[in-house]
Amino acid sequence: MDDPSRRDFLRGGWKIGGALLIGAAAYTGYEALRPLASGAGGAKITVGTTSSFATNTSTYVPAGRMYVVNANDYIFALSQKCPHLGCHVPYCDSSGRFECPCHGSIYDLAGEYIAGPAPRGMDRFEVKFVGDSVVVDTSVLKAGPPRGVKNFLTPPKGPGCIGKA
Amino acid sequence: MTDVDTEKLEPGRTSVDHGIMARLKRSDAWRSAFRHAQTDTPRGRALQSFSNVFLHVYPVKIPNRVLRFRYSLRLGFIAAVLFGILVLTGVYLMFVYTPSVGSAYGDMQNLKTGVGFGQLIRNVHRWAAHLMVLVVALHLVRVFYAGAYKKPREFNWAIGVGLLLLTLAFSFTGYLLPWDQLSYWAVTVGTNLVHYVPLLGGKLQDLLIGGPQVGQTTLLRFYALHVAVLPMLLALMLTVHIWRVRKDGFAVERSTVGTFAEEATERPAAAPAAASMAHAAPELYGGRVRLLGVVDRESLTEAARPVDDTVFTWPHLLVRHVVVALGTAAVVLGLAVSFSAPLRGLANPNVTPEPAKAPWYFAGLQELLSRFDPLVAGILVPAGGVLVLLLLPYIDRNPDTRASHRKVAVTLFSVLLAIAVVLTVVGTFFRGPGWKFIAPWTHSYIEF
Repeated sequence: MDDPSRRDFLRGGWKIGGALLIGAAAYTGYEALRPLASGAGGAKITVGTTSSFATNTSTYVPAGRMYVVNANDYIFALSQKCPHLGCHVPYCDSSGRFECPCHGSIYDLAGEYIAGPAPRGMDRFEVKFVGDSVVVDTSVLKAGPPRGVKNFLTPPKGPGCIGKA
Repeated sequence: MTDVDTEKLEPGRTSVDHGIMARLKRSDAWRSAFRHAQTDTPRGRALQSFSNVFLHVYPVKIPNRVLRFRYSLRLGFIAAVLFGILVLTGVYLMFVYTPSVGSAYGDMQNLKTGVGFGQLIRNVHRWAAHLMVLVVALHLVRVFYAGAYKKPREFNWAIGVGLLLLTLAFSFTGYLLPWDQLSYWAVTVGTNLVHYVPLLGGKLQDLLIGGPQVGQTTLLRFYALHVAVLPMLLALMLTVHIWRVRKDGFAVERSTVGTFAEEATERPAAAPAAASMAHAAPELYGGRVRLLGVVDRESLTEAARPVDDTVFTWPHLLVRHVVVALGTAAVVLGLAVSFSAPLRGLANPNVTPEPAKAPWYFAGLQELLSRFDPLVAGILVPAGGVLVLLLLPYIDRNPDTRASHRKVAVTLFSVLLAIAVVLTVVGTFFRGPGWKFIAPWTHSYIEF
């Protein structure tokens, strides 16, 4: 292999230097834009005792932006974010279901998918029982059950809420 | 009476003007700034263009056909005017706005009640933004039907597609800034689309909104993008775009095949016989060319001279541009006075309004999303659409610019355009709470 000429060496040096500069600028941009740990939530919240969540009810917990539900005596902590496009899914007392006002996705009390364009059921935070207390770890968010899973499906209690506001 | 050096007089004058303005214009200080006097002669007009940075954006002369309104509908120029209006009103708004979730909404209310003409400025900014999205899109459509994306304008077409995306990014980042329910949920829906990008979706969404949900970090980075990053990018790309438009001869001649065959360069065939016979094979004419006649020299040079259909940019095109700019400003002002920019309640992450609609230019996308898988409707379809638009000049190799000779391309584009328009109209006007179908004449859920 021939020795590189001075011109070739300098040309290569400029290219490597330019690439390093672009890389450094991109990394700096990433560091400036990536979310800070303190802004990402993740607290453990004691939401109550097991007896405070009556069977087949939903309780909104604003501090965790979630619902704690008791579906057939199973307690779940459901993220309020619709897995479709992130809207806040309100609980409809009259139908006993979660109904998203954005695109009409509907979930049962346990957050399982019933209808609409959502790709899956509502996402769930990890729930731990410490003695009689119910503790929700908001740092652990698990994807909701896929479409078709209907362990808690019950007929609607009554008419839906969408369009009634 | 002093002798007058007539060489130094302005054309049409026989004596020296002793008025203050005339004296000022003759001073060294004036001449240092404006090197050429405004003389109404071809040479004077050319010198004015050469020596003026603003007039230098234009060529000194342009083909006459560029003056025709129906040629371009002036859509590109209107978009540039709207951008100017947005910069001007945007600077005003920056003086009274703080990108903080604690004060942004209050600043919007203060515009209405505490700042003279504040609400009007905001209305003008809002309407100019909506119109810019519409006009840039129409400009793209017009350029397609004119076949003006073909060689040698392929790269400028791609720059134009980039400018359309930048315009959408401008509008979208600005949408969040009022920090009301309308903006908060429109941006929440919009940014959640990014989540569906394969592999990198979650990371990209984090970078965009800076946290688990739209909040202070999102507002700050949308503001920075809106007032610093995007303007720099747009100014850079717009410069290249306009420069290319000029270098590529402004406009395609649609009545001829191919982009290079333009009226100004068409020449009648000039006395071809003698020249071709002189170079013909010897056996054809016996190796000799017989001179059968002598024609007047002038008649040959007249025939060879190209048809000059060019006119001076100043005043012909500039006057038209001033009229269009004034018309655009009048339309924006009319809309701003008639329809106020909406301001719903303070953004509340715990209450989603019914319905939560994306801005109108994304309503077609939202409509698609309500029917198809988000990966398909939110990512593959729009990304595929942009990719096809970018590569269009390289895919469509047919050099003909006439619509009647590009039936496949025109039909495909028209069908896709019609689908996009129908989806946008349905998503904007015909959808209500829960994205259920409603008749807009019974209840309207549209807010601009």
